[in-house]
Amino acid sequence: MAQLSLRGIKKRFRETEVLHGIDLEIGDREFVVFVGPSGCGKSTLLRLIAGLDPITDGEFVLNGSRMNDVAPSRRGIAMVFQSYALYPHMDVYENMAFGARLMGLDKAEVEQRIADAARMLRLGELLKRRPRELSGGQRQRVAIGRALVRKPDVFLLDEPLSNLDAALRSEVRLEIARLHREIGGTMIYVTHDQVEAMTLADKIVVMNNGRIEQVGSPRELYETPANTFVASFIGSPRMTLVDVTRDGDRLGVANGGAVSVGAVPDAKALKLGLRPDAVHLTRGAAEGLAAQVVYTEYLGDNAYVYARLADGTLLSARTTPNDLFAPDETVTVTVEPGAAHFFSAEDGRRLTP
Amino acid sequence: MPKLRMTGRGLWITFLIVPPLAFVALFIVYPIISAFAYAFFDWQGLKRLDFVGLENFHTVLFVEPYRSWTLNAFKNNIIVFFALMVLQNGLGFILAYALWRELPGARFHRIAVFLPVVLSTIIVAYLFKLFYHPLFGVVNISLRGLGLDGLAQPWLGQSGTALWSIIAAQAWHMVGFPTLVFLAGMQRIPGEILDAVRMETESEWVKITQIVWPLVAPSATIVFTLLFVGAFNWFELPYIMGGLDGSPFGSTDVLGLYFYRTAFGNVSAGQQDFGLGSALAVLIFLFIAAIATVITVRLRAREIQI
Repeated sequence: MAQLSLRGIKKRFRETEVLHGIDLEIGDREFVVFVGPSGCGKSTLLRLIAGLDPITDGEFVLNGSRMNDVAPSRRGIAMVFQSYALYPHMDVYENMAFGARLMGLDKAEVEQRIADAARMLRLGELLKRRPRELSGGQRQRVAIGRALVRKPDVFLLDEPLSNLDAALRSEVRLEIARLHREIGGTMIYVTHDQVEAMTLADKIVVMNNGRIEQVGSPRELYETPANTFVASFIGSPRMTLVDVTRDGDRLGVANGGAVSVGAVPDAKALKLGLRPDAVHLTRGAAEGLAAQVVYTEYLGDNAYVYARLADGTLLSARTTPNDLFAPDETVTVTVEPGAAHFFSAEDGRRLTP
Repeated sequence: MPKLRMTGRGLWITFLIVPPLAFVALFIVYPIISAFAYAFFDWQGLKRLDFVGLENFHTVLFVEPYRSWTLNAFKNNIIVFFALMVLQNGLGFILAYALWRELPGARFHRIAVFLPVVLSTIIVAYLFKLFYHPLFGVVNISLRGLGLDGLAQPWLGQSGTALWSIIAAQAWHMVGFPTLVFLAGMQRIPGEILDAVRMETESEWVKITQIVWPLVAPSATIVFTLLFVGAFNWFELPYIMGGLDGSPFGSTDVLGLYFYRTAFGNVSAGQQDFGLGSALAVLIFLFIAAIATVITVRLRAREIQI
């Protein structure tokens, strides 16, 4: 059981406020991912939850008890660190046994838990090795194992994949997803990689500049981003955001043509958000936005074309590999009806037709 | 052409290596070897007499009164070593830990702890002689001020307290050194490892004994070895504070003083014997070299790469 509530959490380092009031509810067995650019405060928030740094203002409640002043080791929380932070002078077994023994478990129980974790993480043959004799992926598994044997209510993972190479990263990602299914604990995972966020999370918390921009399932964030920040942060390639003026049902780009996109919100000036799959590129169509191809990315099963609109915005469009465009080619952009996103030109908030 | 260049390179290397090598040979290797050699001869003043084999060694180890003097000095060196291990290295570790945890005023204390190390030994010795003065010394004045007149005593003037008083001065003088070495070792421990420990325990004791101490093993090797060598070569402080005879009654006598007295003589005991002195020097050297090697090898084995 784990129910976390963050209420008005603020964090100041000396004069600088880095978290400006975070409100968040995390339910039992949820896999929550904090995602955002470097310096957005996601790791800081994780450290506050862990208890490694004191909370300046606000309240952190875990399972009904206030945790603000509880020592990290008494919160029922385990953490996996970015650098793994294994104890270099202990072998794998000792690394896992250290925390379990400190919890006051008897010897048999400690051994049982380590055996379980070793099986689950395939660490059996590594138990007698020192951390420096392990590969990055193996160290990562030991770090997870060390958290596992404590059977915490909440697991915190701070950018656990960032020190692994690309191939290993997707493998360990699957591993973590499987672990979450098997052990069913609440997990909070910090990353700046939106692919990790999308693939792992039940709930994504998008952060920027010490604030939460949006909380939702991967699908909600992708399909109904609350503002331009979330819209451009989630999805790869990024959503194209272009300033348009409304002219009846059609939206025009500064001296670059106009396009109809279906229903349009009632505002004079808008930002139009276009995902790569919401646009079509054609050669010499009568109506649409004019654009000039900059380059093409061929990915095998599909391809992305990047083209510059008349106002200088770089637009990304998904095409089929059979439909490649040459650099400098002039194309016309049309938009799939109903597939466009609209945002306020003033504050970037999502608008609906 | 390449052959000629190689020759030029070789010349350069020779040119750069030979002078320092010659220096080391002349001023370090030669004196050590000649001390070894002196130990096997009989001497009259500075005049070398007959080759006597191991007799000088036999005399300092087994013939009275040399035997008692040797044992007494050696026993005192052992006391000094263990006392300083606790007072200097132990306290140094604790101070380093406190400085490392950045307790309030850490910056000031970092300098304050290290400052005495910079002072000349002569000054420290003189200072502490004044501190320990039976009548005007700050130690006794403080004790009397606190109403503890019974504890005020001639610290350097009685056998029971003299050695320990000098040891205390030495610890005060040098405690900044192990502190600095341990502090450097602690600062090498990655922050995330300490965070990881904090996630598992709030006990400072567990943190220090199970994580910090093993991870500063390289620092411990350095300060233990240097303390060992320093303790058995101890000379300046007891010489200035206790005198060349290790007074009172040999209670502050250490191997360094004893060797000096034997080899070069003394005001009260005019005789000097180079042969016995050299034999002592050789024994001290061999003892220190052997034990320091053992200490280093044993301690190296428990060092971990972070």
